[in-house]
Amino acid sequence: MADLERLQLAVEMGDRDTAVAVTEEAIAEGIPPLEILEPMTDAMGVVGERFSRQEIFVPEMLISARAMKGAMALLEPLLVGSGHRPDKVAVMGTIKGDLHDIGKNLVAMMLKGANFEIIDLGTNTPADEFLAAAREHQADLIGISALLTTTMGNMRGVIEAVRAADDLPDLRVIVGGAPVTLDFATQIGADGWAPDAASAVDVAKAVVDTARGRTTLSGLIHPDVIAAARDTAAA
Amino acid sequence: MTAQSSQLTTPGPRPHAEVTTPLRGEWMTPRRRFLSALYRGRVDKVPACTLSSCVTVELMDMVEAPFPEAHLDAELMARLAATVHEVLGMDTVMPVWHSQLESDALGGDTDWAEKDNWPSPSKFVISEPEQVKVPADFREQPTMKTVTEAMRLLRRRYPDVAIVGKVYGPWSVAYQMVGIESFLMDTILDPDKVRRYLDAFLPACIDSAQAQFEAGADAVMWADHTTGDLCSAETYRDFLLEMHQRITQEIGGPGIFHCCGKTIDRVHLFANAGWDCFHFESQVDAREARVAAGERMSLFGNLNNPTLLYQGTPEQVYQACWELMDAGVDGLAPEGSVPLITPKETLQAIAKAAADWSAERRGEGQFAVKPPDAVAVAAD
Repeated sequence: MADLERLQLAVEMGDRDTAVAVTEEAIAEGIPPLEILEPMTDAMGVVGERFSRQEIFVPEMLISARAMKGAMALLEPLLVGSGHRPDKVAVMGTIKGDLHDIGKNLVAMMLKGANFEIIDLGTNTPADEFLAAAREHQADLIGISALLTTTMGNMRGVIEAVRAADDLPDLRVIVGGAPVTLDFATQIGADGWAPDAASAVDVAKAVVDTARGRTTLSGLIHPDVIAAARDTAAA
Repeated sequence: MTAQSSQLTTPGPRPHAEVTTPLRGEWMTPRRRFLSALYRGRVDKVPACTLSSCVTVELMDMVEAPFPEAHLDAELMARLAATVHEVLGMDTVMPVWHSQLESDALGGDTDWAEKDNWPSPSKFVISEPEQVKVPADFREQPTMKTVTEAMRLLRRRYPDVAIVGKVYGPWSVAYQMVGIESFLMDTILDPDKVRRYLDAFLPACIDSAQAQFEAGADAVMWADHTTGDLCSAETYRDFLLEMHQRITQEIGGPGIFHCCGKTIDRVHLFANAGWDCFHFESQVDAREARVAAGERMSLFGNLNNPTLLYQGTPEQVYQACWELMDAGVDGLAPEGSVPLITPKETLQAIAKAAADWSAERRGEGQFAVKPPDAVAVAAD
C-alpha cells in the first residue's frame, strides 16, 4: 500500500523521484486525490517553518517545491476531473519594471503548497494585467513582489486600481520583497505584508479569511498581527 | 664604484627639519584616505564612499550622461561616475552600475533597460558548465572595454580620488547566466556541477579584476551573493572559501568583498578568505560585524537604501552615519546600489557626517581617533 507518510517525507526532503513514485502508487491504488494531496501540503508547511527558523535555506525550499511539482503533475488532472478546485485563488507577479522573480516564485510555491490556485503572471507586470487576471480567474488575492527600490513604488498603482474597481470589492492585495518594509506596505494601503515566503502563507490565508468575514482582523495584516490574534484567542 | 657615486651615497648626518606647519584638518587626499581606511590605517577623516552604484537620475541630468547610454560610452560613464565625488562629496568613484560586466562579455543576453532602471539579464543562456567559453578578446568586449576606458579617463582627471572597480565573482555570474533557482538547486542536487560552473567562470572574473587594476582602479569590489537570505554559511564555506583565498592572492590589488542581506554568521569566513574589506548591508549590525571581523578586515557600509537614503531625510542620514562611525565602521557607504530616484541631499549628508564626526574625533591632532569601544577584539 502506498505510504503517504513517505510521500510527505519525500517532499520535505526534496526527493522528487520518491514523491512521484509514491504518488503513482497511491493513484493506482485508488486513494482519493485529496488524501494524496494532504501530506504534500503538510510537507510544504513543515518546509516553511524550517525556513522561518533558518534551519534550511532557499535551495532546500526549491527542491521541495520541485518534488511537489513533480507529484502534482500526476495528481492535478485527477483533482480537476473530480471537480476539486483549491479554496483560494491568488494572482502573483513581480511589479512592472522589475525582472526579479525568485521571491515571487518562492511565495507562489509556498501558497501552492498551502492549496492556493496560483495564476503566475511572471515579472514586469503592469497594474492592468493584475486586474485582468484577477477578473478572469475570480481571484481572492493579488500578490505583488519587488526587489528594486525603483520599482516598488509601482505597487501603489495596483492597489489604487483594485480599490477603484467597483466589480472587485472582495479582492485583496499583499506585497513583499527585499526592500518592501511594513511601513511602506502601510503607506501604499496594502491589505497584507510578509517579510519572507514562509510567513506569506499565513498572511495570505488571514487576508482572504478576513475578506470572507472569517476572522476579526482588520487593517494591514502581517505576521505580528496574526501572532497577537493567536495569543488573544489562546488566552 | 666611481668617486662621484661614492659621494652620492655618503650624504652624512642631517639635522631634523623644523616643523613649521603641523598637519591639521583634512590633509589627506581622498585616495590616500580611502586606501588607508581600507587597511584599517590612520585617517584624517572617515572616508565617505561608493562601493556600489550611487548615481541617480538627478545626477544623470546634471551632466547629461543618462542610462542606458552611460553603460556603454566611456566618456559618459566617466562623467557620470565623477558626480559622486564632485556633487556628493564622496572620496571614491565607481564607474560600474550594473551586474552585467562579466556576464555580457561572456556572451550573456542583457536588457539594458531605461534611464530609471538597472540592466539585467534578459534570459539565462547557460545550462551546462561546458558551455562557458571565455573569449580571447574578453577585455575588448563592449562592457569590459567601456569600464576600463572610463577608469583611465577618471585616473587622468582625478589623480587624487580613489577609483573602485567592480567584479561579479563566479557565484554571482552564475546567477546572471544560469539563473538563481537552477544554480541554487544544483548546490544540493549536483554539487560537482556547481563547482564546474565556478571553475569555468573564475578566469573571466579574475581577468576582469586585473584589467580594472591595470586601468587605474585602486581597489575592486568583488560580489559573490552567498547571502543568508538565499543560502547557508556552510554553502559559502564549502563552495567558495578556498576559491576566495586564491582570488584574494591573485587579483593583484585590494579586494572589497560584497554580499547582500543577512551575513553575520559568515563574516568571519569572509575575513578568513583574505578579503581586505567587507562591504555589508544594513541587515547586519555594525558592532556585531566589527567583532566578527576583528582586526583582520575593514568594514564599509551599511547605510540602508530604501528607508533611509531613499525615503529618509538628510538629518536622519547624518544621524545614522554618526552611529555607524561610533560603532567602528572604517568607511561610510550605502549598503548597495542606491535607488535611482534618491534625492542628492540625503547622499550629500554622508560626506558631511564623515567630516563633522572626524573633526570632533580629531581634535587638534592629525588623525580621527575611533571610540575605545569601537576597537575590535580580534575574533577567531
